[in-house]
Amino acid sequence: MRAKSFVTLTVALVTLLLVLRIAQPPAIRANDKKHEHKAAHDHGHVHVPAPLEYADSHVPLSVWTDPAQIARGKEIFTARCAVCHGDAGDGKGPAGLALPLKPSDFTDKNGVAEMRDNYWFWRVSEGGQVEPFKSKGSAMPPWKGELSVQDRWAVMAYQHTFSGHQGPHVPWEHPESLKVGRDIFIMACVPCHGVDGKGDGSVAATLSPRRAPQPRDFTSADFKFRSTPSGNLPTTADLFRTMTEGVPGVRGPMTIGLRAHRVMPSFRHMPPEQRLEVLEFVKSFNRGFWERDDVKTVCLPVPPPVTIERLARGKQLYADAECFACHGEHGRGDGPSAPTLKDARGFSITATDLTKRDRFKNGARVDDVYRTLMTGLAGTPMPSYGDSLEPEQAWDIVYYTLSLSDEAANTTDSAR
Amino acid sequence: MIRFSALLLVGWLAVGVAGADEAPISGTVKNVDTSAQTVTIETTAKSKTREVTIFLKPGAKVVKFARPTEPGKSGFVEQSLALSDLKPGWLVSIETKHEGNKEVADVVKVVLER
Repeated sequence: MRAKSFVTLTVALVTLLLVLRIAQPPAIRANDKKHEHKAAHDHGHVHVPAPLEYADSHVPLSVWTDPAQIARGKEIFTARCAVCHGDAGDGKGPAGLALPLKPSDFTDKNGVAEMRDNYWFWRVSEGGQVEPFKSKGSAMPPWKGELSVQDRWAVMAYQHTFSGHQGPHVPWEHPESLKVGRDIFIMACVPCHGVDGKGDGSVAATLSPRRAPQPRDFTSADFKFRSTPSGNLPTTADLFRTMTEGVPGVRGPMTIGLRAHRVMPSFRHMPPEQRLEVLEFVKSFNRGFWERDDVKTVCLPVPPPVTIERLARGKQLYADAECFACHGEHGRGDGPSAPTLKDARGFSITATDLTKRDRFKNGARVDDVYRTLMTGLAGTPMPSYGDSLEPEQAWDIVYYTLSLSDEAANTTDSAR
Repeated sequence: MIRFSALLLVGWLAVGVAGADEAPISGTVKNVDTSAQTVTIETTAKSKTREVTIFLKPGAKVVKFARPTEPGKSGFVEQSLALSDLKPGWLVSIETKHEGNKEVADVVKVVLER
């Protein structure tokens, strides 16, 4: 009897071990995915978002299908990448087989579809030498020192061909690459910005009916808070800053229940990677983010010291540039033109009361005010002075503007 | 039957233990000591970066993969290198075994020459 129990127990144990062995997942892939298990688990795959410095590294649409680029990419891939990723792009190159973290398999069309272009470019550029890949032991070398931006695009275009997808590798072709961001957007942003990101959510109309500011229409070209020149779309870092800081309201508690009278709440509490995910989804409403050739930002010089002379010059420039017309002689937002101001959508808009720093929508730090002055606030009457003011003159106005506020003591004490 | 089952279990455990002791690691070559037949690499795993010195077994190979020179042939061919050919900065992968207090290996594969 005891012998029979022992045999039963042993057979059960061995069977269990065999099952475990068979069920053991294959080695982790370099892109953190176990795509072989998608059908079984149907979890979808989550690629970490590209960091801010790569978030605007979108590949020009034409590159993905340009035969010359693909040919150039093949040449580079064959010489430098195939030893690990394999000539067939399946991650089974002779050197890759022995790596603890398996190279990406570009024939895995689901995995490729979920890999955003800026993530891909980041991986090719930095390799596995950045987190979270470094901690996982990725052996992928960084190529940014050896391959030009164009060559990295070309390699990606060739790698993309292994997936079998025809056409550019963009979010509107691969909505699954935005799943995480879309889920967050639906939960956190749709009430104001609407399902289609047009700023027409169900709550939007109740925020300040028939008055600006209204929730941003992400499909339009007008983005107020930018570090880019007038007429340009913002950088992802600009969007990240707005999302993190929120936007203060102009006339008291326009959004009941949200602290600090904000038109848009701060999402500082949301983990940065989730903010990046939702911004990738937000950008997908506007193809212009993929169609711009280059992302130029307004140069932000180091703020100079504030002096009595600078404040005097700033006061004169404030008058010369007719800032008083909207903001008023004393900066209270009560200039002669203020009652007539309208935004691009035809809504009445209030000139910012410069004596209340907590109402500066684009931030009240010296660099924030400088950026606002030099880029303007698109879609509002606030113009860009980037073409008409020298940086020194801009700093003069910035410091004078800040000296008008209730909290001016901190800014101007040293000058007095 | 008892003997058979026990043998199966012992065999399984032995295979499991042996398998667990082998692990591929990859990293950057930091130092090569041809007299001691060792390669020291810097490797990162589980968020920790460390230097590991690997002792090459007698007859161990250092190989790299290159394109065949014969016309019409594709793929890669294995090329043997001397240990002294390995240079600091190169990326390698090594299947190591733990023997005594040492990490030992039969093959060092060059992933990237830099």
